[in-house]
Amino acid sequence: MKLLITGANGFLGKYVVAEALRRGHTVRAMIRSAADAERNGWADHPKIELAHADLRRRKGLADACRGVDAVLHLAAAKAGDMYAQYGGTVVATENLLAAMEEANVRRIVSISSFSVYDYMKVPYFSTVNEFSPVEADAFDRDEYAHTKLVQERLVRMWCTERNWVFTVLRPGVIFGRGNLWSARLGAKGKRVWLRIGAWARVPLTYVENCAEAIVAAADADGAKNQILNVVDDETPTQRRYVALLRKREPRRPLVVPVPYSLAWLTANAAKLFNRWACGGKAKVPGVLVPSRLAARAKPLRYTNAGIKRAIPWRPRFTLAESLDRSLSSHDAALTAIRGAA
Amino acid sequence: MPTLIDTPAVTPAASAAPVGLALAGLEPTGGRPLRAAVIGTGKISEEHLKFLSTDPRAELVGVCDLSPSLAKYAASKFKAAAAYTDAATMFRQARPDVVHVLTPPHTHVGIVTDALSAGAHVVCEKPIAPHRQQFLDLWRLAQAKGLRLVEDHNYRFNEPVLAIEKLARDGKLGEVREVEVRMVLGGIRKAGRYADTAMPHPSHNLPAGVLHEFISHLCYLALRFLPPTVEPGTPDFRVAAGWSKHGAEPLFKWDDLDALVIAGPVHARIRFTTHAGPDTFGVTVRGTDGWAETDLFQPYLRVVVPRKGGQQLSPLVNQWVSGWGMMASAVRGFRNKVMQHTPYEGLGTFLGRTYEALRTGAEPPVTYADMDRASRLIDALLLDANRV
Repeated sequence: MKLLITGANGFLGKYVVAEALRRGHTVRAMIRSAADAERNGWADHPKIELAHADLRRRKGLADACRGVDAVLHLAAAKAGDMYAQYGGTVVATENLLAAMEEANVRRIVSISSFSVYDYMKVPYFSTVNEFSPVEADAFDRDEYAHTKLVQERLVRMWCTERNWVFTVLRPGVIFGRGNLWSARLGAKGKRVWLRIGAWARVPLTYVENCAEAIVAAADADGAKNQILNVVDDETPTQRRYVALLRKREPRRPLVVPVPYSLAWLTANAAKLFNRWACGGKAKVPGVLVPSRLAARAKPLRYTNAGIKRAIPWRPRFTLAESLDRSLSSHDAALTAIRGAA
Repeated sequence: MPTLIDTPAVTPAASAAPVGLALAGLEPTGGRPLRAAVIGTGKISEEHLKFLSTDPRAELVGVCDLSPSLAKYAASKFKAAAAYTDAATMFRQARPDVVHVLTPPHTHVGIVTDALSAGAHVVCEKPIAPHRQQFLDLWRLAQAKGLRLVEDHNYRFNEPVLAIEKLARDGKLGEVREVEVRMVLGGIRKAGRYADTAMPHPSHNLPAGVLHEFISHLCYLALRFLPPTVEPGTPDFRVAAGWSKHGAEPLFKWDDLDALVIAGPVHARIRFTTHAGPDTFGVTVRGTDGWAETDLFQPYLRVVVPRKGGQQLSPLVNQWVSGWGMMASAVRGFRNKVMQHTPYEGLGTFLGRTYEALRTGAEPPVTYADMDRASRLIDALLLDANRV
């Protein structure tokens, strides 16, 4: 297949490009900066084309889409205020879909997020799956959750109206080189780690495993018009994952545990105080907002049964292997692609 | 010391510009809320929409943005009656009395023209137009239609600025002799929308580049304390402007402005830089008897004037009063942070007064003279003859 991959220079995108090349696909990698692409190891691969474009504006997007069989849409804004994230995630997706229409491309794999689930409505210790409730509007949640929710709805609605084929993948916590910590664990300082909760499972997916799932979904019949969660087989508890990370630190930090129940009570007290004293308008840290705290640390379980049924994918690397690869001196996945080129 | 060069005489066409007075077609609306619509749902729209969704004088009948999702988001969050992606459709279907034009500056002239042509009063973000002549064209259209055209001069209505104006008006500072308006935005060259080379901000194409986004604020604030009888463009109104580019960022035409304006006996310094920190928006007014200053980004008000106790004790009393004031400002600053109050606090006051004026047929709080003087000063700052 010939695939257009947006966000190709991103943390996940560079592995998705490498995986697509490894599987023999021809890749058009949409990037903003050629210099960044050169660092990824695949810029001079014989089966890659670089497309310089910015999804926040329509100029050049239809040309970038022309002639591809499917689009793997990874680009999204993860930082900035609501308007920056709307521009980088939602408006970007609107522009991409319009460009696909112009270029007559009718297959998209869009990367959503676990952040769209309504964790307040999921019962304690139950298993989150593709049928779990999603947020209605996410105004209470952070900008990322809100924009990913809108993006996901946009893709589904657009494709359904036009009889296109879509796959929405919702990865859990994507971890890898330089990205081992997650807000689901708590707050991380240099010498002190604040762990909020202990027994919640962390829906980890190692970046190479996740990249394989995304590329596999592009040509799997079972993934057509499906929403699928992407998590690895091992979803360790917060306690275990923090311990694994701590063990790999050269100077082991002090871990300060905060029980989830205490954090939950504090967040609800803060919410009541905010409503009573500030008319609900006060801005407080995320851990003091019950819906955000629940999204990060509510004790829940996760499953990858849905995606395993839909596509031929099994997470290749175990948690221990993933951590070892993340902390190794060279990036094996990207180095292998450079060698192949 | 820069060489001061007189601004050129006002052109005959500009001299003949209409002066904003009561409009024949403008009638009080009585108790009916004004049907308001917003075009452009970027960051600044949030401040306008907060007002429009809560003030009983306004009924939010539509929001419009090229992005359907952004339009829907704004409509849903601020409970607008409908979301549109096409302004003409919104004018036709929502029939707004007032249109807020909140799009990037280079689009203002076209959209304001369309809104006025559709029969709506216009509240427009600054600058209404890149050049004064375009502003005058829009003004004439508004006059011909019997409609109001109002530029957002929101910082004029921030509490500390209103307080300094009152001090000056009440003579507490003596005769005003010096004004300094200083904005420091150290980060915009390195990060954020103005530094984004992948999608250059349209403001880079304005006559003053990105600085054009900010100089309206600096100019209308400085003009509040310059003598109204000394008009920009007359020999008594002298301007020297140093536009500089100290950094290497390719997008930026200039990243620093240091301008001196002398209007009769009053000296004003207009200063904008991206080469200092932290971010500041300072206003200082000095008179023959005392001075007052504020920073609109971290609001406080410091007033040094003759106090009871005479010449001997006044300095000490001023220090005590200033210290107490700073402590109180720190508490207010914390409250503002938690309650998400932004430096746009004056926008609500500005819009409230504007809507009141539209309802009663009175003069809006930002008049033709205010807008015209600001645009003449901006033109003068950009004039080659005034460059140092």
